[in-house]
Amino acid sequence: MNTLLTAANSGESIGSATMLVSNYVFPNDIHVHWSMMIVLYPYITGLVDGAFIIAALYYLFDVKSLKPVARFSLLFALAFLCCATLPLLLHLGRPERNFNMLLTPSPSSAMAGFGYIYAVSMGVLTFIVLFVYRPVLVELRSTAKGWLQVLYRVITFDSIDLSQGARQLDAKIIRFLVGIGIPIAAILHGYVGFIFGGVKANPTWSTPLMPVIFLFSACVSGISAIILAYIVIRKFRGKSISHSAIATMTKTLTLFFILAFCFEMLEVFSHTYLKSGYHHMVEGLLNGPLASSFWLWQVKICSMIPLILLGVMGLFKLREGIYNLLAAVVSAILLLQVLIMRWNVVIGGQLMSKSARGYTAFHPEWFDKEGIIAVIIVMAIPFAILWGLGKIFPFWAQESE
Amino acid sequence: MGLSYKMRLLILALGIGIATTGGLFIKSLLKPESFGVYGPYRAAAIDEEAQIPIRHATNVSCYSCHPYEAKIHKAGLHKTISCEFCHGPWADHVAGSKKVGTLPVKKDGEITTLCLRCHNTEITARPHEVIKTVAMPGHLESQKVKLTHNCNQCHHVHAPLKYINRAKQITESAEKAL
Repeated sequence: MNTLLTAANSGESIGSATMLVSNYVFPNDIHVHWSMMIVLYPYITGLVDGAFIIAALYYLFDVKSLKPVARFSLLFALAFLCCATLPLLLHLGRPERNFNMLLTPSPSSAMAGFGYIYAVSMGVLTFIVLFVYRPVLVELRSTAKGWLQVLYRVITFDSIDLSQGARQLDAKIIRFLVGIGIPIAAILHGYVGFIFGGVKANPTWSTPLMPVIFLFSACVSGISAIILAYIVIRKFRGKSISHSAIATMTKTLTLFFILAFCFEMLEVFSHTYLKSGYHHMVEGLLNGPLASSFWLWQVKICSMIPLILLGVMGLFKLREGIYNLLAAVVSAILLLQVLIMRWNVVIGGQLMSKSARGYTAFHPEWFDKEGIIAVIIVMAIPFAILWGLGKIFPFWAQESE
Repeated sequence: MGLSYKMRLLILALGIGIATTGGLFIKSLLKPESFGVYGPYRAAAIDEEAQIPIRHATNVSCYSCHPYEAKIHKAGLHKTISCEFCHGPWADHVAGSKKVGTLPVKKDGEITTLCLRCHNTEITARPHEVIKTVAMPGHLESQKVKLTHNCNQCHHVHAPLKYINRAKQITESAEKAL
């Protein structure tokens, strides 16, 4: 207020200072309430989804070429799933109150539904990992000492039975769990899209296409993350990279990215063609505050370049080294594309006034509760968990080491 | 322990089942008693909310004791603005029918700050066609007044065009007289 008074008295421009103290009568939307933590929430759950798809392709659909990355994908999905609710809890002023919501679920409470779906997917994924790793864990149990041995005893259900019958039973259980895991993973992330799509007050979110777009872009980000992480970790450790695994993942990525990009563009096309309700506001948003982050970064740079590169990789015969390098580059760009897409949906969608009378701006801060430093920390935690999981569950199968 | 692997898995499945059932049972114990009586919320919350003392009133409450301001306010362009927007909540001023405190009255530079909360062109989400907005110090320059002027030196805060219209009437009648 003092700044404002000084500015007003000295006759300087007082626009920005007034913005800080406004929101009294009008305008009603100068503050972006759902900021960067809410961008990370669909991003992290999306990474889980895509990684799980890779594992499911191997464990359920028998895509043999994905064997080198199947186990790693499961651990990657588990590490990120552990942190899926972290951004949401950090966004809350009173995180402990999230349990209140879970005590009183109702059809009118979308977030309570997410809590239950999350709990089920966490349980299913944990057991998939335990059953997939059981033979390895039984082996490690025999050499482990101290608390690690106790841990291995617990996570092998205190059984060292690796007989043919036990392995066959494990295989059946894995197929069953992965089988129900696919719809659960789809529901988990489709539900995230639904939570945004269900906000009737926001014309950029309120579309039945939202869960579909979120689901496909989730697959894109997750598969990209596995490709990039696999290549980087293997290179870093000086180990071989399975070209057939990279090729299969890239082909799958191509399919999902074409679908994701088509739906992203179809949504804009539908808004433009239908010119429904708030079209003038959405059009102004995409060509105004989001002109750079949507058209330039999301569409032109981070979608068109990967599409061209994926086209080249699909149509021409490339040397393995170049193919793998291109796969890593495309994956990195697509990880950014999906992050920008989440940003444009979550933060972009809030840059317009609910009175349909204007736009606002969002300036991320470094040291805010939901600032850039907090974002970096939240994104680093799943990697720390993944590193910790790697100490208990070896990433790679012995034969491909 | 000589349990077979199958038996261990069966115990595990049973354990998951018991844990889930137990969780649902605990959930039912912790659920607030009056939840769901009328809808997906605590019915008791209605009574609790009703117990919260009222802090805001309508302009009619203010007019009953401030007839001079009421007359001007009701005749001006600010007639739809709540007194409390600028002066604060009624409960800080009156309890029962007794005065318990004095509400703030903005002075000098504070007045300009208050006016610009609504009348600033810089606020882009402002319906310009509904509320007159100005840019400072451009407005002061265009009106050929000192840049140190506060809004209330030309505008009556309760009826913004009261003095402006009066001044116009005087200048028009003076021109006619010439």
